[in-house]
Amino acid sequence: MAYLTQYQYYENAGNLPEDENWGSYQYVSLKDIVTNYLLMYAGNHSLVNNEERYKILFHAKRAVQELNYDAFKEVKVLQLNVCEDLRFILPSDYVNWIRLSYYANGIIRPMVENIQVNSAVAYQQNADCSFLYDVDGNVLTEQSDLDYDRIIGQKPSIYLNRLSPYDGLLGYEYGGNWYFAVDIGARYGLNTETANTNPTFRIDKKAGVINFDSTMANQSCILEYISDGMEGGDDSEITVNKLFEDYVYAYISYALLDSKLGVQEYVVNRARRKKSSLLRNAKIRLSNIHPGRLLQNLRGRDKWIK
Amino acid sequence: MINEVRNTVLAILNKNNYGYISPADFNLFAEQAQLDIFEDYFYAYNYQVNKENARQSGTGYADLKKGYEEVIDLFSITDTLTQDAANVFFMPSQLTTGSDYYFINKVLCGTGLNEAERVGHSKITLLSQSLLTAPSSLYPAYTTESSLMTIYPDTYSTAGDVTCQYIRYPYTPKWTYINITGGEPVFDQSQPDYQDFELPIDDQTDLTMKILQYAGLSIREEAIVGYSAQQEQVENANEK
Repeated sequence: MAYLTQYQYYENAGNLPEDENWGSYQYVSLKDIVTNYLLMYAGNHSLVNNEERYKILFHAKRAVQELNYDAFKEVKVLQLNVCEDLRFILPSDYVNWIRLSYYANGIIRPMVENIQVNSAVAYQQNADCSFLYDVDGNVLTEQSDLDYDRIIGQKPSIYLNRLSPYDGLLGYEYGGNWYFAVDIGARYGLNTETANTNPTFRIDKKAGVINFDSTMANQSCILEYISDGMEGGDDSEITVNKLFEDYVYAYISYALLDSKLGVQEYVVNRARRKKSSLLRNAKIRLSNIHPGRLLQNLRGRDKWIK
Repeated sequence: MINEVRNTVLAILNKNNYGYISPADFNLFAEQAQLDIFEDYFYAYNYQVNKENARQSGTGYADLKKGYEEVIDLFSITDTLTQDAANVFFMPSQLTTGSDYYFINKVLCGTGLNEAERVGHSKITLLSQSLLTAPSSLYPAYTTESSLMTIYPDTYSTAGDVTCQYIRYPYTPKWTYINITGGEPVFDQSQPDYQDFELPIDDQTDLTMKILQYAGLSIREEAIVGYSAQQEQVENANEK
């Protein structure tokens, strides 16, 4: 692949979209990775020889996936409106979430994950609690009370938001703790874990949805998440940050040597250590620690906390 | 070169009145001998690669591997494969590309010339079912069956989509002649079916010895077979 001219870079050579190549120089494509590996690290007189290309491709993609999970720090952001069903379907390339916020009045408010379960499947039951089945012998399901109460806004929340049983009630502070005039007994102080007024959510990974409490109905939600970098299966779109290029080669070599019969243990170990150290180096490089940033952080120490 | 080889063969055979081989017999033996030596090139090449891996070969003029590659490349052909149906193409052959293939080295697909990888039938199903390794337009794969080649993915289904670089068999050598004067056919290379050996000149001795072996067998002359076999062994030993 030839280098881009500046005209191609800035304006995509007059084609649309104009921003196609912006920032592309930071990355090396999967095609280049596999081609370079086959040229430089595989073949006669090399440690890796007579390996099928699909194995190299597989390990290259696995390396890209692993890097996407933590090292890359390449966060995808998706904003969607949550409707009355209080569900947010996970993006098609979702692997794990980083932060969920709700966006209102121009302010992004991070939400907390509800520590209590907020969604369930319910089996249809007879009066004697026995289950009902369909003709195929599968048990019939229905919307659970838990879901129903949550969606209609009847489910009280342990969080200090509008669904809290103490929301709007007067309380009094004594000895640093807050007490309310309702309920027998008392609330001994504030539970800081649940002391958040923002809406809450819980991710149902298997169902592929995020379930919110009813305060999120018709609100805008921002999901920050990570993917595995496979770009929906389009090999030509898969890229790796150049800082990790050497690591990917080392990873492929290690994976191939590790699974090959008859390779001496010291060779496998050498490949493993090389892979690990290159990953460490690349992570340090990517963290971008430089004097300017350190200085900026150190300036904070002069601030007086009143 | 073919005439020199024939003259040498006849000279050795006639030396002690061992016998004579006709042009037709010579052409048959010549074809066999050339095929034999042609195939040996691949084994010799592999032998040199192994020596290189064992750090027992040199560079420059001592790089024998390079020499073998050059000889093999004499038979290299790059041509577009003829489409049979959809993503199935005919393998190179006399009918489609003009020459039979000995070894398919490279298959390129589409305008991007993406190289397809040869995959066995035992793997292609699994490969296609795997998300990470399923053949894609960037990384196509192919299988072969009989005289057909199937390209994966099936998006490569247009005539001209597949180009192949392969090593063809050498053309059948033919010593041609015109009229017979005094019982001797006279060599005539202007005949339309004339075909010289395609191997390099340094294989002339090998060709002669091989043909002598076949000729010795043909005329039941043990001494000829023994002599030529021994000479061939000496040659091979010297080349290693």
